Amino acid sequence: MMQNEDVARFIGGGSRYIIWRLFSAMVGAWALKGYAQFSVIEKSSGKWIGRAGPWQPEGWPGPEVAYTLSRPYWGKGYAVEAATSAIDWAFDHLGWAEIIHCIDPENRKSQQVAQRLGSRLLKSGVPLPPDETPGEIWGQSREEWQARK
Amino acid sequence: MSPLVLGPTLETERLILRPPIASDLDGWTAFSSNSEAMLFLGGAQTRAVAWRSLATMTGSWVLKGFAMFSVIEKLSGDCIGRIGPWQPESWPGTEVGWGLVRSAWGKGYAVEAASASIDWAFDHLGWTDVIHCIDAQNVNSQKLAERLGSRILRRNVPMPPPNETPVDIWGQSREEWRERNKA
Repeated sequence: MMQNEDVARFIGGGSRYIIWRLFSAMVGAWALKGYAQFSVIEKSSGKWIGRAGPWQPEGWPGPEVAYTLSRPYWGKGYAVEAATSAIDWAFDHLGWAEIIHCIDPENRKSQQVAQRLGSRLLKSGVPLPPDETPGEIWGQSREEWQARK
Repeated sequence: MSPLVLGPTLETERLILRPPIASDLDGWTAFSSNSEAMLFLGGAQTRAVAWRSLATMTGSWVLKGFAMFSVIEKLSGDCIGRIGPWQPESWPGTEVGWGLVRSAWGKGYAVEAASASIDWAFDHLGWTDVIHCIDAQNVNSQKLAERLGSRILRRNVPMPPPNETPVDIWGQSREEWRERNKA
């Protein structure tokens, strides 16, 4: 997934070593914090197609529900489907009062997913660790999410 | 949330070695924000980057069944660094690595923790040799490897990107380790 140019453009890619480190950090966050992004499996094929879910590493600007899919699985509504389920789980089980999505200002596809989830642009130019790249913060409150369902 | 038990707790004369937990972040940050301690590990890092290393190490305990231990000083109860088995993707071999906060150097702690880690790796992971990836300029780590009985096996070995600096591979076989450490 992350060695594909379209995917890596806004979230970074790199060597198998770097990608393994990120994968391992995601697994480690489940142990350290009790949540992290889920691996997303396509039922019809049984294949791993990406990751989506709650994510708030140290220094992050808020409780995020993030989504990233392998390039062949874009355009099927999978990101909205997975993120919706993850947002429900975060509000029901993690006690979050709001969710955010950290999005590159150029990343139209991800902005469209955020809009379809009912989120709106809250802040621009927010530095994101670890490299402090400025990003947009999209999001919504638990009340807004639950009122729309 | 009570910490998951991801691996064993080892005890030495002055140290406790156990898999990382969330509250070790202060100790990990003290280690990795110090430019002297990080001189050969890519330079000083922020707390946010230290958390990612802590999470990566924790995840490796789940994915592979081993990773470096957090090192706790019995006397103070403080987390003073991380030492132990480590073999991320594309790594040149089965390493036992080390890194301690600057204030804990010079007390023999690294030898104490690395020895316990090597014993555990050979006894429980089935490793047949152990390596240490050491920068050619890192005299402190070279001395430590020598005290463990390791020697240079290969010089100028490239590391997986984005690591740019080649390292010397120090190490020894299980048989050599056991012969030297017979009770």
